[in-house]
Amino acid sequence: MFKELDPILHTPLRLAIVSLLISVKEAEFTFIKDKTNATAGNLSVQISKLKEAGYIDVVKQFKENYPQTICKITPEGIRAFETYVKNLQSYLNAGN
Amino acid sequence: MSSAESLILIESMINKAKNQFSEDGHLYQLWGWVVFICSLGQYIGMRFLKIQSSYYVWLLTILAVIYMVFYLSRNKKQRKVVTYTDEVLGATWIAFSIVLLLTGFILAQVLGAKFYTVLNPIYLSIYGIPTFISGVVLKFRPLKTGAVICWGLAVLSTFIPVAEHLLLIAVAMLFAWILPGYLLKQRYNNQSVN
Repeated sequence: MFKELDPILHTPLRLAIVSLLISVKEAEFTFIKDKTNATAGNLSVQISKLKEAGYIDVVKQFKENYPQTICKITPEGIRAFETYVKNLQSYLNAGN
Repeated sequence: MSSAESLILIESMINKAKNQFSEDGHLYQLWGWVVFICSLGQYIGMRFLKIQSSYYVWLLTILAVIYMVFYLSRNKKQRKVVTYTDEVLGATWIAFSIVLLLTGFILAQVLGAKFYTVLNPIYLSIYGIPTFISGVVLKFRPLKTGAVICWGLAVLSTFIPVAEHLLLIAVAMLFAWILPGYLLKQRYNNQSVN
C-alpha cells in the first residue's frame, strides 16, 4: 500500500527550497532565489506556505537598513522531508 | 512531478548546497603571514641583530586580532548562507585559540623562564589540530598535508637547538596556512566563476 506523498512538499519549488535548507544551517532569501532560479514573488508565496505548515522558520530583520529574510528548516520540516523521501523510494522500488 | 523527477530535484539542490564553499582562505593567509613574519622577525632579531627584546615583534598579532574581528563582523553581515561546515570550523578555531593561550599561560606558570624551551614544539603540535580538522571538513588535501608537516616539525624540534625553533614555526606557517590559504582562495574564486 502506497502512502500519499506530502502535498506540501510535492511541488517543484517547495521541494527545492526544503532540499536546499536541509543541507545548510540557515540561508537568506536571495541565496535560495539564486539556487532555485525562482522569481521573488513565487518564492515568497512558497516560503509562506512552508512556514504555515511549520516546516521552516522565517526571520525577517534589517541589515544595514535593508530588509533581510533568513530561512531555516525546523525539526518538523526535517521529519516531513525524511518521510517524503522514504515514500518516494517505495514508489520507485515498486516500479523496478 | 514524477517520483524520479522529485529525486533528481532533491539531489541537485543538495549538491548545490554541498558545493557552497564559504572559505576563501583569507584568514589562513592573514595568520600565516603574521606568524611567519613574527617568528622570522624574532629569529633574525635574536640571532643576527642581537636584540634581546625582539620578541616584541609578536605585538603585531594584536593588530591582526583587531583586523580579524572587523573582518569577521563585516563577513557575517554579508554572507547569505550559513552551512554546518562553517559552524564546525568556527568552533574548532575558537577552541584552538583558547588552547593556544591556555598552553602559553600554563607552561609559563609551571616552567617559569624555561617555558620557552617547550613552547614552540607544543605550539607546532597544536597548530596541526585545527589545520587537520579543516582539511577533513573542507575536503582539502593541502591543509591535511600542512597539518602533518606541523606534526613532523614538532618531532624535529626535539632534535635541534631551542634557538632554531622559530625557524620551524615559519616553515610550518608556509605549508600549513599560507600555501593552503592561497589555494583555498583559488578554489573559492573558481566557484564564483562557475
